[in-house]
Amino acid sequence: MIAAALANVFNPMCLLLIWFGTVLGIIFGSVPGLSATMAVVLFLPLTFNMDPTQGIALLIGLYMGGISGGLISAILLKIPGTPSSISTVFDGGPMAEKGEAGRALGVGILYSFIGSVLGIGALAFISPLLAKVCLLFGAADYFSVAVFSLTIIAALSGKDMLNGLIAGLIGLALSMIGMAPIDAQVRYTFGNYQLLAGLDITVLLIGVFAVTDIILAGFNRKHLADKHQQKKYHLKGYGISMKEFIQQIPNALISSVIGIAIGILPGIGGSTAGLMAYTAEKSRSKYPEKFGTGIIDGVIASEASNNACIGGSLVPLLCMGIPGNTVAAVFLGGLLVHGISPGPLIFDKSGQYVYGIYFALIVASVFMLIFERLGLPIFAKLLDIPKHILLPVIMVMCCVGAYSSASRVFDVQCVLFFALLGLFFKIFKIPSTPLIIGFILGSMFEENLRQALQASHGNWSIFVTRPISCAFLIIAVVFCTLTVRKNLREKKAAQAKGQEFDTSEEEG
Amino acid sequence: MTNKVRDIICSAVMLVFGAGMLILARDIPHKIASDVGSAYVPTFIAICILVVAGAKLILTLTKKDPDANKKAKSDSDWFGGVGTILLMLVYMIAFQPVGFVISSAVYLFVQMLLLSNEQNRKLPLFGAIAVLLPLAVDALFVFAIQMPLPKGLWGF
Repeated sequence: MIAAALANVFNPMCLLLIWFGTVLGIIFGSVPGLSATMAVVLFLPLTFNMDPTQGIALLIGLYMGGISGGLISAILLKIPGTPSSISTVFDGGPMAEKGEAGRALGVGILYSFIGSVLGIGALAFISPLLAKVCLLFGAADYFSVAVFSLTIIAALSGKDMLNGLIAGLIGLALSMIGMAPIDAQVRYTFGNYQLLAGLDITVLLIGVFAVTDIILAGFNRKHLADKHQQKKYHLKGYGISMKEFIQQIPNALISSVIGIAIGILPGIGGSTAGLMAYTAEKSRSKYPEKFGTGIIDGVIASEASNNACIGGSLVPLLCMGIPGNTVAAVFLGGLLVHGISPGPLIFDKSGQYVYGIYFALIVASVFMLIFERLGLPIFAKLLDIPKHILLPVIMVMCCVGAYSSASRVFDVQCVLFFALLGLFFKIFKIPSTPLIIGFILGSMFEENLRQALQASHGNWSIFVTRPISCAFLIIAVVFCTLTVRKNLREKKAAQAKGQEFDTSEEEG
Repeated sequence: MTNKVRDIICSAVMLVFGAGMLILARDIPHKIASDVGSAYVPTFIAICILVVAGAKLILTLTKKDPDANKKAKSDSDWFGGVGTILLMLVYMIAFQPVGFVISSAVYLFVQMLLLSNEQNRKLPLFGAIAVLLPLAVDALFVFAIQMPLPKGLWGF
């Protein structure tokens, strides 16, 4: 299987696709307003006709490049290109103001690579072990895993847990449309035969994540042409000496471990990983007062952790079919489209593709290290790309992408419906990540609930008498209680300071 | 719109959605005797939505939040936003009958016009992009991906 995966990835066409994906991902990540999620969503339909390894390799390149590309605008414009790069601004921005933009960019790229490689190592090491554990799971356990994932996602994707729960439940409700599992009973189709097979995940993703942003740009068109002061940069190598590199090894390792751990937890992604790693490094540092004034330690902590998150987020995705964050959710859609079913048997049934994912991730990391550095002058110029031209072009590509998923105009029209749903979520400050995860987990939730209740003759106690199921439910309850307490404390603190408590917190 | 009004509207919409889902779930027939039935999970989810939306509504109505009546700062351009939605709607309706190339060309041109301002409005550039991009995408789909896009009444 490993040899077949190597042969599939290391062929010229696949390498070209990974390169193309990585470069394009960097562009999407670096331009504020575009995101890694948008990049993967837009190009997902293009992979339908590709060989599975090639299609997934393209998506991996986009994912890797998209997360890393955010550092370019975070440093040169002090605007994070993606939410993952929020904490890069803290020291990257001041470094640019001191005339060290080049050094910040070089260090950011190098430690993005190191974080990615450590994340991939963790993925390769942890996922086979976790898959073996998951073989012990029964229907009741899988139902509890779905409940656990949904509640944690709802708790962590915004500061108002009720809004997160509403989003997750709407996602579950949307997944009920079409034929039911087990007895193929048709539900909620309103006589429309196009809905018999249910809603398409690609269409939902395009609508909620890409088209909603274009509509919002319409509402914000007065500021669409705003120019931001771009800092000049000079860079030799990667801007770091061997002595500094050795000194920063503990920072890189600790930050990467934080990124991997955050990635494995469902629902939280690169932005939280970056912020946690930054805070951890600041408290560990001998000179915490220098953080925020422009030192490489902050850039390293942020970039190593948000890229390590990529490997971490793929662990629950591959072993249980539970995406760690929004981009991973889109990536899961890609795997399903290519007939690869994530779960504990993935290593037996689709081992060749799993190893292909590992190799493609490594290649994408190397391409990111080389081409993000070499292409910096071009990527920096692309930051000025006019949005009033770019966004309509993306809209056309969205419609083409939706159409190509099943050659149906109905899907194109569904895109607008989901875009308006996404707009409703934005207006009412409801996070959209739980919606997607709820939609994806819907079939797993229903199928396992019904199977477990069939086995127990309708007795709900099966979910608390099975140890694995009970453990997941207890963790979910404890975690939610702690999150609610933390949010209430933060809300009180914000009110005491006379600040508004913003309930929205999106991941992309 | 104040935070309180926003939360009340959100809760009300969700209550209506949950109630609708619950009513429709009652019409789903039960096929397999040993199974809980296809209506079971939708009913469960609808009840959860009603409970969560109800809790949100009660919390919103009872909480004493000094920010509750504060209006969110907004300088939204309604013409730009609603115009974009309407343009998308027309584009998606025209996608099949008019064809991909023509509908996309018109959409691109008008949308670029709508999003631009007097300083960056370059009509020849917009026109060139509006014509060339749909033609290039159509060619890519016809010749490379071999999946023709809708041709429409005029056959292209």
